[in-house]
Amino acid sequence: MRIFNKIVVVLLLAALTGLGLSLLVYAFNVEPYRLQDLPRAVGLDSFYENLRGYVGALEQGALDALEVATLVLITLLGLVLLVLEFKPPTPRKVRMQQGTYVTRGVVENEANMAVEQEHEVLQSNVNIQAQRKPGAKVDIRASVRPGEDTQSIQSGLRDRVQQHMSQTGIPVSNLKVQVAESDPRETKTRVK
Amino acid sequence: MDDDLRLARAASEAALTTEGVYALGTGRYAEAATYGPGEKVSGVVVSPDEVRVHVIVRYPPAEPLPALAERVRERVARSAGGRAAMVIVEDVEVTRDANL
Repeated sequence: MRIFNKIVVVLLLAALTGLGLSLLVYAFNVEPYRLQDLPRAVGLDSFYENLRGYVGALEQGALDALEVATLVLITLLGLVLLVLEFKPPTPRKVRMQQGTYVTRGVVENEANMAVEQEHEVLQSNVNIQAQRKPGAKVDIRASVRPGEDTQSIQSGLRDRVQQHMSQTGIPVSNLKVQVAESDPRETKTRVK
Repeated sequence: MDDDLRLARAASEAALTTEGVYALGTGRYAEAATYGPGEKVSGVVVSPDEVRVHVIVRYPPAEPLPALAERVRERVARSAGGRAAMVIVEDVEVTRDANL
């Protein structure tokens, strides 16, 4: 959502800058740039004309199915964006108890430590998300050599991470472990 | 302002004297500190309704992190002047005597 807002603001500011520069050039009324020609130069005339035609058609109810669908789509998009805007942001810190938190970095380090103990894992990627409720959402993606028993590694890895986290006391509300076969030449380590 | 600094100093001392705490953290995205004239207390943020302490704990911790954080929170709350106390475990530090 923040990225979307940023893109919109950047585009708006770019348009305003462009308009401001044009205004500056046209304000001096030096041939061939005259101020009265500015609306035509930036295409405002045709825009107003199209808008007037569209609103006229809208008032008369003379819209085709595609235009109605577009309007519905824009309304729905606006509604979704409005709901997203009101949605509180995801917390940055993982809540342990009332008034005590741990940073995602600490949780990531602990999860990584548990994953790295598994000898079959050549490379891992740990993603931590804090939640509004206590506990972290831990997403682990591990790479193993082709031909390994991924099912047993996955369950072993899950047990190991759960055990390590419970030892350190970091609450995990959701643990997702994915194990995929990878070419050892493309992983961080080839042999353990 | 002086009151905030006094609270921050007390909270800092309470946190640092808790067993298992290695140091105070300095925040991740913005510096966690309380500022006063010519002085700043790092690792503690005092706001009108809350005292927030960022701690770095020793590794391996002698007890589970929530228990340690709760112990720090209780100690900080005693010196928080009625404000809510919040503890953030910012990092873990492997100490020399960890024997890893």
